[in-house]
Amino acid sequence: MVSEYNPGTARSLGRLIEELHRLPGIGPKSAQRIADYIVQIPAEEAQSLSDAIMAAKDGLLFCDQCRNLTDASPCDICANPQRNREQICVVEERRDLVALERTRAYRGRYHVLHGVLSPLNGVGPEDIHLPQLFERLQDSDNPLQELIVATNPTLEGDATADFINRRLAGTGLRITRLARGLPVGGSLEFADETTLSRALAGRSALD
Amino acid sequence: MTLPRTYRTAGLTLRKTPVGEADLVSAIFAREHGKLELRARGARRLTSKLMGHFEPLTLLRLSVARGRTLDIVAEAEVVTAFPEVKADYATTARGLYVAELVDGFSALSAPNPELFDLAVQTLHAIGNNPTAELPLRYFDLQLLARSGFLPELYHCVECGEELEPERHRFAVGVGGTLCLDCGPPDVVVRSLSLPALKVLRLLHRTESAGRLPALNIPAAVRDEVHGTLTAALQYWLDRQVRSQAFLDAAKLP
Repeated sequence: MVSEYNPGTARSLGRLIEELHRLPGIGPKSAQRIADYIVQIPAEEAQSLSDAIMAAKDGLLFCDQCRNLTDASPCDICANPQRNREQICVVEERRDLVALERTRAYRGRYHVLHGVLSPLNGVGPEDIHLPQLFERLQDSDNPLQELIVATNPTLEGDATADFINRRLAGTGLRITRLARGLPVGGSLEFADETTLSRALAGRSALD
Repeated sequence: MTLPRTYRTAGLTLRKTPVGEADLVSAIFAREHGKLELRARGARRLTSKLMGHFEPLTLLRLSVARGRTLDIVAEAEVVTAFPEVKADYATTARGLYVAELVDGFSALSAPNPELFDLAVQTLHAIGNNPTAELPLRYFDLQLLARSGFLPELYHCVECGEELEPERHRFAVGVGGTLCLDCGPPDVVVRSLSLPALKVLRLLHRTESAGRLPALNIPAAVRDEVHGTLTAALQYWLDRQVRSQAFLDAAKLP
């Protein structure tokens, strides 16, 4: 038995290679290496990997409040009474939430959009978790004072931030955007004009 | 004769795709080289000297090294990032409309300097007047013209007679305007009023977006011109213009 796309390869191994090749960032050669590794590990380890994939697939759900992926809703962050309920930070992806949590500088709650408005890809407000954000903000018990829009400083991230800002104009809510400028360890000489002009606009006094 | 290993060009970024750990593949419409897909190594790293250069709608000066599959960006310098176009959601949607259509109507490595100049002029026009509709319609018609798809606006495409000043019909499938006497079978035909035809001719004859006169066009004629041009664009593109929905959502033409 040989795989159609991997000559000289057993059909089951070829199928595993093809499935791995579908994953983001995995090229055909990486897929072959990972597949070769998987068939060499003990059966219990392979089963554990398979179980972990299925547990994540079957067990995860969106938190009713922040739309982060969680095992139980509300998620740990939303259920934590120590978190500041007056701030919500809007992020594009779950990974961005993790990055902000690592800083330990933010103690409010989040809203995960799972995407960004993208005219070129036909991704509109209904295709990401924006309606759930606006619905959440209408809750009369909500003590929210500030919405921090932490979408990426890209064309689409900025357009999404502007869309949110427009939509919430006149509500009295304080809407802020993460500061932007030169990265630590970066070089002013190579900065693009947008970054440099925004770094200049956001300059601060030396204490 | 072998090609030089590096080349320099000016180009407008149309879209970008993350690749690998920190690379980008950017579709760039270059004035002298046509559409290029270039790999910018490490451009997604915060400390990369290429960081921030490849956002869509950025005019760049580039130094490029030829690669085996994709050419590699060696140096990039921002000429303008069109900050006025990126000022808000509505103008960004307009800018991306231009980028989507340039991307759709251009072919890899097929130079079209006239189309490049049109795209840059249109982005400047959007920045200078973010709510004006006419520059976008000018872009639509000139895009068709500079890509070889200009619809016939002066003679009936069926009988060849010069069009009389009356109501006409338009069928993109047969190449443009029809007189009232002609009706080829199996062709989708839409109505075209004389005022709308005159606006289309004006868009065709005007030298640049900056020279467009200030006109007070009735909303019905504006919609007719827009509908006619959209039908032609979608016919040749063979799909919907995705960013159009965002223009509609932003309550802009």
